[in-house]
Amino acid sequence: MLSHVTLQYESGAQALNDVSLTVERGEHLCVLGANGSGKSTLASVVCGLLAPDNGVVELVGQTVFDARRTDPIDFAAYRRARRSIGLVFQNPDDQIVTTVVEEDVAFGPENLGVPPKEIGSRVERELHRVGMTAYAKENPTRLSGGQKQRVTIAGALAMRPEVIVFDEPGSLLDVRGRTAIMRVMRALHADGTTIVHITHFMEEALCANRVIVLDRGRIVAEGSPSQVFSQTSKILSLGLEEPFVAQLSRRTGIPWTCDEDDAAEKLTRRATQNGKNTFSTSGQATACACAIRANHVSYSYKRDRKALDDVSFEIPSGSWTAIVGHTGSGKSTLLRLLCALETPDEGEVVVQGICTKRRRDRRRLHGTIGYVMQHPERQLFAETVRQDVAFGPTNLGLSQEEVAHRCTRALQMVGLEGLDEASPFELSGGQQRLCAIAGVLAMEPQTIVLDEPTAGLDPRGRTELRRILSRIHERGVTIVEVTHSMDDAAHANKVIVLEESRVMLEGTPRELFCAANEDRLSKAGLGLPHALQWALKLGIEGNPLTLDELVLALGSHAPQEGEVMSYGA
Amino acid sequence: MALKLSFGQYYATDSIVHALDPRAKAICAVTVMVSVFFVHTPVQLAIGYAFALLAVVLARIPASKVLGSIRGVIFVLLVLSVFNLFLVNTGDVLWQLGFLRITTDSLAAALLYSLRLVIGVIMGALVLLTTTPAQLTDAFDALLAPLARIGLPAHEIAMVFSLMLRFIPTLADEASAVMDAQTARGGSLSEGSPLHRIRAVAAVLVALLASSLHHANDLSRALDARCYEGGAARTHWHPLRMRVRDWLALVFTATFVGGLILVG
Repeated sequence: MLSHVTLQYESGAQALNDVSLTVERGEHLCVLGANGSGKSTLASVVCGLLAPDNGVVELVGQTVFDARRTDPIDFAAYRRARRSIGLVFQNPDDQIVTTVVEEDVAFGPENLGVPPKEIGSRVERELHRVGMTAYAKENPTRLSGGQKQRVTIAGALAMRPEVIVFDEPGSLLDVRGRTAIMRVMRALHADGTTIVHITHFMEEALCANRVIVLDRGRIVAEGSPSQVFSQTSKILSLGLEEPFVAQLSRRTGIPWTCDEDDAAEKLTRRATQNGKNTFSTSGQATACACAIRANHVSYSYKRDRKALDDVSFEIPSGSWTAIVGHTGSGKSTLLRLLCALETPDEGEVVVQGICTKRRRDRRRLHGTIGYVMQHPERQLFAETVRQDVAFGPTNLGLSQEEVAHRCTRALQMVGLEGLDEASPFELSGGQQRLCAIAGVLAMEPQTIVLDEPTAGLDPRGRTELRRILSRIHERGVTIVEVTHSMDDAAHANKVIVLEESRVMLEGTPRELFCAANEDRLSKAGLGLPHALQWALKLGIEGNPLTLDELVLALGSHAPQEGEVMSYGA
Repeated sequence: MALKLSFGQYYATDSIVHALDPRAKAICAVTVMVSVFFVHTPVQLAIGYAFALLAVVLARIPASKVLGSIRGVIFVLLVLSVFNLFLVNTGDVLWQLGFLRITTDSLAAALLYSLRLVIGVIMGALVLLTTTPAQLTDAFDALLAPLARIGLPAHEIAMVFSLMLRFIPTLADEASAVMDAQTARGGSLSEGSPLHRIRAVAAVLVALLASSLHHANDLSRALDARCYEGGAARTHWHPLRMRVRDWLALVFTATFVGGLILVG
């Protein structure tokens, strides 16, 4: 469909560089690439929303752009092509244009001039396909992110597109929401819809027919998922990661595969040869001092519904605590209370020995507890990076030298030194997030609370942020993190599971993630860490929680770390 | 969240008022809103409230919902009535303290002016509560259509209006999130010296503006992808049609307004 397409932004950045790509009818194509590799630009070109500078673009049989013509852009052809191409992108809030679900689905067909009767049957059919029939009359703002995203998919489907482009549809969703989207996508593929899927999650690419990898506007790898992922070093050097199953097969030394069933079969066969595998761990010493204590805390926004109901827990000083729970379980409310932005209706929250009840104490706390909100890049406001980072320390009333000193240190910690005088709005998405985090670090809090810090980042960004956080943790800072990823939670010292405004489970990852809790966790929309899922499948005892532990349990040689990791830098 | 804006939120239920043609509904509401300015006596006030109450009951919307959505406006009206109470100086003096003086006239003005406006506010809220933004857009579009002939982009104005209603809660949520984040960085809007507060306000507003632009960008991408091209070739899932009950509602409202003015 595209041939030798080149696109340059006004700023001079080359977004697409000589990209040629043909998507077959009925194909499920997956596009991978780090942030800034040109994926979203490619999506816009494929959707007919953006005309390139050079090359030829043919969309659903219409030659919409041909640089060899005197008038390269054919607007009429673009309009015709757009009618057959649907788009679903990251933020569902920005794609829903009305306040009733069914009317939003009808919006597209109305624009296409579909007769009213036909619109009704399309709305019904597509809402059924994405499993949202029961919510037809609802207000979308009351739905969860995953449900909203399914509404936007129904909205795109109602236009009867030949091709649907998904531009990171799951990057802002929790596990439950993402699973539902993948289920819908598989069903669409089975119905013969052509799918172009852009994603940061390698696992999702495994069900595609074909995978392409973009880097700096060029296609650098192409083929079936196993062809692409078998080029391990290349994948890592491009800022991507291997799917879990591929890592497992490589490190356990079975023939390389990225097919889950295949790997499971081979590992089981080997396990029976080696005799029974167990994995044992030594218990961890618990820290004594307490950074945060919640004592029978209840809070409600409205009289009838409690957002938090009799919640009690302690977070040890210097620990890394993960709070998990699906959308609407009360996580965000809890964070607001911990950060002293709100006071509980009943019970008390004590942070670093200071009770949050009194207003004056709350002000003092703002210096000792740092809060990194969801999508912290949205809080950026100043003209330069340095000024933005300085906002917090300046508010603390510190001397100018001290402020400058802290800014430099914070920027160094997140690796943004040298960008002091840049405008925060010119940074890339990942850098913006780091800048916002530096703004919190500059206050030098003893406890830092993060709300899904890695949401929407690419693998490289995720790894980098993890590294920065563990560096901060090593300095003795208590970290409280809300996360959707059970794999991340498995690395924490302590996990608190919230469900229906209450603490459902609490303890170390090892106490919590076990076969006995599998049902309760999956009912809460959470599930188990990947490694443990595999261990249960393979019948390994002792609950290995991370890939390293799983490999150890499987009792096989691991390749030297440097062998593969050196490419990742 | 800290900011809970409930004004203009559609409340889904089955009722005669919900089923009315949005054009008829809008005309009725506007007529009543204008007519409240002719209310000068308690009897008229009573009739007005009876009508508003009837409309709320027919719309089958819980009173708490209606009150919730007009709360903000009522607060403004209360402030206005306090001004009326002390600024009107004619009539018999009822109470006096220094230069502050309450007279019969001022009391009447304070009560009457704000109470009659509440009727209009209820009618406005009722239209928003019983009409989906899509219907409102269609109604706006249809009612403004005559102006399109003199070059007013009626359809686009209607669309912008409906998108505004859609994005108010989204932006309100975001505003409270940004306010939280800046408060946690010591930039609270409600504490500190005036200079400190100005800095804090700037920090919230600029961040919010940046993210609104981001939303606008995304939204235009979404509208393009869904082939929105203005009003010309669009169809409507539920085309507007005036039925008997719509005409009846208009006649009924006209009678009421006529009666209200005659009584006074």
